[in-house]
Amino acid sequence: MVFSSLCFLYYFLPLTAALYFFVSDRLKNAVLLLASIVFYAWGEPQYIFLLGISVLSGYGFGLLAEKYRGKKSAFRWCIISVAVSLSFLLYFKYADFLLANAAVLTGGRMPVLHAALPVGISFYTFQMISYTVDVYRGETAQKNFSNLAVYITMFPQLVAGPIVRYRDISGQLAVRMHTWDMAAGGIRRFVTGLSKKILLANQLAELCGAFRASQEKSVLFYWLYAVAFMLQIYFDFSGYSDMAIGLGRIFGFRFPENFRYPYVSASITEFWRRWHISLGAWFRDYVYIPLGGNRVGRARQFLNITIVWMLTGLWHGASWNFVVWGLLFAALLAAEKLWLLALLKKCRVLSHIYVLFSVLLSFIVFNACDMGQAFEDIAGLFGAGGIPFVSPEAFYCLRSFGIVILAAAIGATPAAGSILKKVSENRVAGRIVNALEPLMLLLLLLVITAYLVDGSFQPFLYFRF
Amino acid sequence: MDMRKKNIAVCFLFALLLAGGFALCILLPDKSYSDSERRSLAAMPGLRADTVWSGQFMDAFEEYAADAFPFRDQFRTIKALTADAVFGRKDNNGIYITDGFIAAMEYPANENAMERAVQRFRYICGKYLTEENKVFLSVIPDKNCYLAQESGHLSMDYADFERRMAQKADFAKYIPVSDLLEKDDYYKTDTHWRQEKITDAARRLAEAMGTEITQSYELHTLKQDFHGVYYGQAALPLPAEKLCYLTNESIDGCTVYDWQNGKEIPVYDMEKAAGRDPYEMFLAGSVSLLTIENPKARNNRRLVVFRDSFGSSMAPLLVSGYSRITLVDIRYIHPDYLGRFIDFAGCDILFLYSSLVINNSETLK
Repeated sequence: MVFSSLCFLYYFLPLTAALYFFVSDRLKNAVLLLASIVFYAWGEPQYIFLLGISVLSGYGFGLLAEKYRGKKSAFRWCIISVAVSLSFLLYFKYADFLLANAAVLTGGRMPVLHAALPVGISFYTFQMISYTVDVYRGETAQKNFSNLAVYITMFPQLVAGPIVRYRDISGQLAVRMHTWDMAAGGIRRFVTGLSKKILLANQLAELCGAFRASQEKSVLFYWLYAVAFMLQIYFDFSGYSDMAIGLGRIFGFRFPENFRYPYVSASITEFWRRWHISLGAWFRDYVYIPLGGNRVGRARQFLNITIVWMLTGLWHGASWNFVVWGLLFAALLAAEKLWLLALLKKCRVLSHIYVLFSVLLSFIVFNACDMGQAFEDIAGLFGAGGIPFVSPEAFYCLRSFGIVILAAAIGATPAAGSILKKVSENRVAGRIVNALEPLMLLLLLLVITAYLVDGSFQPFLYFRF
Repeated sequence: MDMRKKNIAVCFLFALLLAGGFALCILLPDKSYSDSERRSLAAMPGLRADTVWSGQFMDAFEEYAADAFPFRDQFRTIKALTADAVFGRKDNNGIYITDGFIAAMEYPANENAMERAVQRFRYICGKYLTEENKVFLSVIPDKNCYLAQESGHLSMDYADFERRMAQKADFAKYIPVSDLLEKDDYYKTDTHWRQEKITDAARRLAEAMGTEITQSYELHTLKQDFHGVYYGQAALPLPAEKLCYLTNESIDGCTVYDWQNGKEIPVYDMEKAAGRDPYEMFLAGSVSLLTIENPKARNNRRLVVFRDSFGSSMAPLLVSGYSRITLVDIRYIHPDYLGRFIDFAGCDILFLYSSLVINNSETLK
């Protein structure tokens, strides 16, 4: 099930919320667990058992890691736990990729498994690993199985994050507050995220779809596509994170932030502190630092960066273009550490152009079906192949999607929030904004409903990771 | 409003909308058909263990939830208005409104579809016709041809489309009618042309085929309002139109036999005119095979028209020039069966198709 569906909004959410707030505090986690199982099984009924086995193994290994804490066997149990979690990921996500590449290397024939990718497996595997590693490092293991199951399977963040660390949420699993302020904040955040997805990301997806379907490519069309996809992926994913964080608050949880206006960054280093923050932090804490992090020599540090970013790329998908995408960032981050960052600080405008252009190119690679298409799309930006500068279809798309692109570009910066804050500081205007806010949220929900009723289903981009 | 009150208001309104929506979804009776979209709506799927396990139930329920959503048409209107007024979108799901006309962007020209259409026509000629048969082809441009350029919407090069069709169909004599048409010759809310505006096109076709047709007609206007097929797709409030039709002595005197349903039908079906798609009043709409007999014909000529729904309103205007006109819609009958019903010897053959059907010719059998 996806948040941006009528089914979720008008069947699942009202029923779940009604049941959750009706039962006593003691039963709230049970309601959440039941709802999460239904939520997951709605899309992937067969894989509910895989999810259950994953949780069960994490629960058992967590208890063993705690029991033997301080002894060598604790490390062994931790490693086994990580290996079991990764084995599921390896089989379902990477087996065919590895077999295909092995076939290329050996020149032989390899079987193809065609294993369907369970939704959210990359997210919940990482959460499971973080749990057992945190327990190994000293965190208290969760004795209550259903509490651990709630942590892993909680529907707001189960299928597309943010990746919630066990230590950030362990207290809230036992005791949490439910207030009007928190629920209203959650609703605001949820509606904001839903608007980002439905009103911006989905429309930008239409433009990207029109580009791919078109036989009349032009330089303008390549640029429109590149900009539209860069904005689409931001609004799609950050919209999902907003919805997850908002739903979490409605049910009394505080999830970590996942995006902080990444496109205003002045360097790639800063960009990755603002983009998919929970994934970056996970790789930092569970891969980069254990490898030695910054406390090693320069050469080893760059090797660590390369390993981390190759894995980050692979986490997004079992394809070489994702590896190239990750390595591109590794190269840029290494260059920034060496000399580029100092240079960028001298010219603010140039640094923003550099970030936007680098990210734009990276997402072209990211969204290509293979490296051949990635090269073709990048070459198209510069008119390779003798394509015209403008085609009728590109010009039409520019006119038809111009406002959507402009709104998305402004929305990707803190500008709108700053203006609203300034307006609210004025006594009269502030009162008006204050009074209108609930109605505006209601209006937004009605418009979103209208788009859902009219439109066809469009899954979130990050579901495939 | 203090912050706490505002937060309570936010929670209350959110809960009210979601709970209200849920209650309406459950309590309101489901519709089985959407008049505005002219399609059957998804029904509530049956709950069975195998369909749940395979995920089919969930997919079907998602479809049902969207189709059965309360005030569906009103929500579609809100979406269309938002797309236009807030986001400045030039079209809504490929449909646009300009100068009071609703049209669909037919773009780009599909070379493969053109090739396929010609290949189907060629197959019919090869299977049934001899050199004695005179074969004609005419392509009717869709409304987009006369609207898009002025409004800045995408449109294919219709002149080139016709030229290429004429070249590909080298077995037929091409009869152009696009120069006789303009936007006002089409209904504002429908795909189709207006019968009372195509008498010049009928004359052009008749002359090219070497026959003469009556030029005097009596104009009739239906009392009921007409909302064309684009009206529902656009989901925007536009004024209704009046559907018109022409009669004369020949049309009044002819008889029509519907081979598909095995019965005699009127040229203008008033029951259909009051139905879901009033344009189906012309020769009963989507019927695979019809024969129009004209007992008052001044000659013994026969015509076979391979056509789409545009041909339904054109055929009555050609009646006075022939003793019999057979109308075939190969979207609904395979050409291999035609030999059982039609004697092609000595017939004139006219392939009369809109650019919409040719550009999407996968529907042709």
